[in-house]
Amino acid sequence: MKSKVSALMDGELDQQDASGVIESLRKDDDLQQEWETYHLIGDALRQSSRLSMDLSSSVSHKLESEPTVLSPHTSKIHNQQKHKVFAFATAASVIAMVSGWFIMTNLYGPQQSITVAERSKHEKSLTVVSPTMVSSPTLERNLPHPPVEMNDYLFVHREFSPGINMHGQVTNVNTLSEYHERYGR
Amino acid sequence: MISHKIIALAFLLMLAFQTVQAQELPRSSESALNWLKRMAEAPRKHNYIGTFIYYADGHMETSRIVHKIDSSGEHERIEVLDGVPRIVFRSNDEMKCYLPDSKRIYTEKRWFRKFFPDLLPQPFDAIDDNYHIQETRRERVTGRECQVLSLTSRDSLRYGHQFWIDVETGLLLKVAVLDGSEIIEQFAFAQVEIDGEVHADLLKPDLSVITDEWKVNNLVTSIFKDGNLKWQVKNLPNGFKKLIEMKRNLAEKTTLVDHIALSDGLATVSIFIEPITKDMPVPVSGFFTSRGAINIYVRMLDENKITTVGEVPLETIKLIGDSVFKQD
Repeated sequence: MKSKVSALMDGELDQQDASGVIESLRKDDDLQQEWETYHLIGDALRQSSRLSMDLSSSVSHKLESEPTVLSPHTSKIHNQQKHKVFAFATAASVIAMVSGWFIMTNLYGPQQSITVAERSKHEKSLTVVSPTMVSSPTLERNLPHPPVEMNDYLFVHREFSPGINMHGQVTNVNTLSEYHERYGR
Repeated sequence: MISHKIIALAFLLMLAFQTVQAQELPRSSESALNWLKRMAEAPRKHNYIGTFIYYADGHMETSRIVHKIDSSGEHERIEVLDGVPRIVFRSNDEMKCYLPDSKRIYTEKRWFRKFFPDLLPQPFDAIDDNYHIQETRRERVTGRECQVLSLTSRDSLRYGHQFWIDVETGLLLKVAVLDGSEIIEQFAFAQVEIDGEVHADLLKPDLSVITDEWKVNNLVTSIFKDGNLKWQVKNLPNGFKKLIEMKRNLAEKTTLVDHIALSDGLATVSIFIEPITKDMPVPVSGFFTSRGAINIYVRMLDENKITTVGEVPLETIKLIGDSVFKQD
């Protein structure tokens, strides 16, 4: 799930996946922590002078102290009243949804997506990243390539079908203990 | 500002409902399964000649395929056009792979793997147990109208797939393997001619290239009855079943290698077990990745090296690799 949080932050999830992750974020304090940590790392990489802070509590406090803000002022949206009441009822029952809102306004703002793209470039160029990033799934795809002697296995597995190149590859390994560190089992 | 919040909240609510829908994953619809049926049958019904592309991790590889059906069954020639030359000939279950550069021919009497565009096993009932199949949209591939099917994994043990199926013939023209929403590998025809005349010469090795200096390796030594191999698997991850168990004679190995192949109906996993000998490089336990969807896990057990290879997520590879035990 942590991996999905990272993917969500990178804007790599589709709408359905994103909603699932937001749902989990809402329920899981650890994941929220993870989300904030990723943002902090991102900010640090961007060398931003303003590091991400936990805004959800202040936003939620602000919303609580301004109940009228959620009510329509104009008659234009009068016919939407029913829907809104429903939405508010749901929202009120889950205060943490505010952090979801916080996520969305961050994720789907056009300006933000540009900075996100810049950040991932940074991440690629900077190989020395904080250890927390290791649990990101994108790194799964960066596992070391198999030793040359393993090519036999690959060929037999794929029955010589296209998609496996014939050249030898790097012999670097991820040990079991590293796996346990990463995946915690 | 107010309207922003309202929109955001309403949007969130909408997403929440979608999540509920996504988690249910009902049985796949009859019409979606019919598309799969057509797709599974198409290679047994149609001739085709075409060029397809494999794409993964920013790497692209082009291959040419000739596929012919006649009274004696299926015949196929696949030539990898990029990089080191490699030509695979297949006649029903028999496979021959020519590697002109190293003058080697690998032969296999019992081809069990399914490969693009002939991906589905028969019967393919297990697929609905492990994947939720949905018709999503129509799209054009190589100038032909395709029905797009999405196969969503019912758990986290396997990757999702998307199939582009030719509406007219049922032939699979494009496939994408997805880890969540990320495409990790794709096969797609760049050009294809279906149901044209296929001249028999196209399916024969070019004799000018083949001389008697070529070294022939038969990759399978013996196939075992289910449960007779010394090494077995227990408590496999949900949906995976054993396809075959055998002893193999791999080119660079002096000893025979035990091979167990598993499948969940779509994804295939191979387990290779070989004794650790003094003349082999010191084996290292751990995880490796190859191109695309392939993950690899190496572990040691009783002076043997167990290598698990497959197009499944890392955790599944580990579960399968750890399920291997030596029977008395």
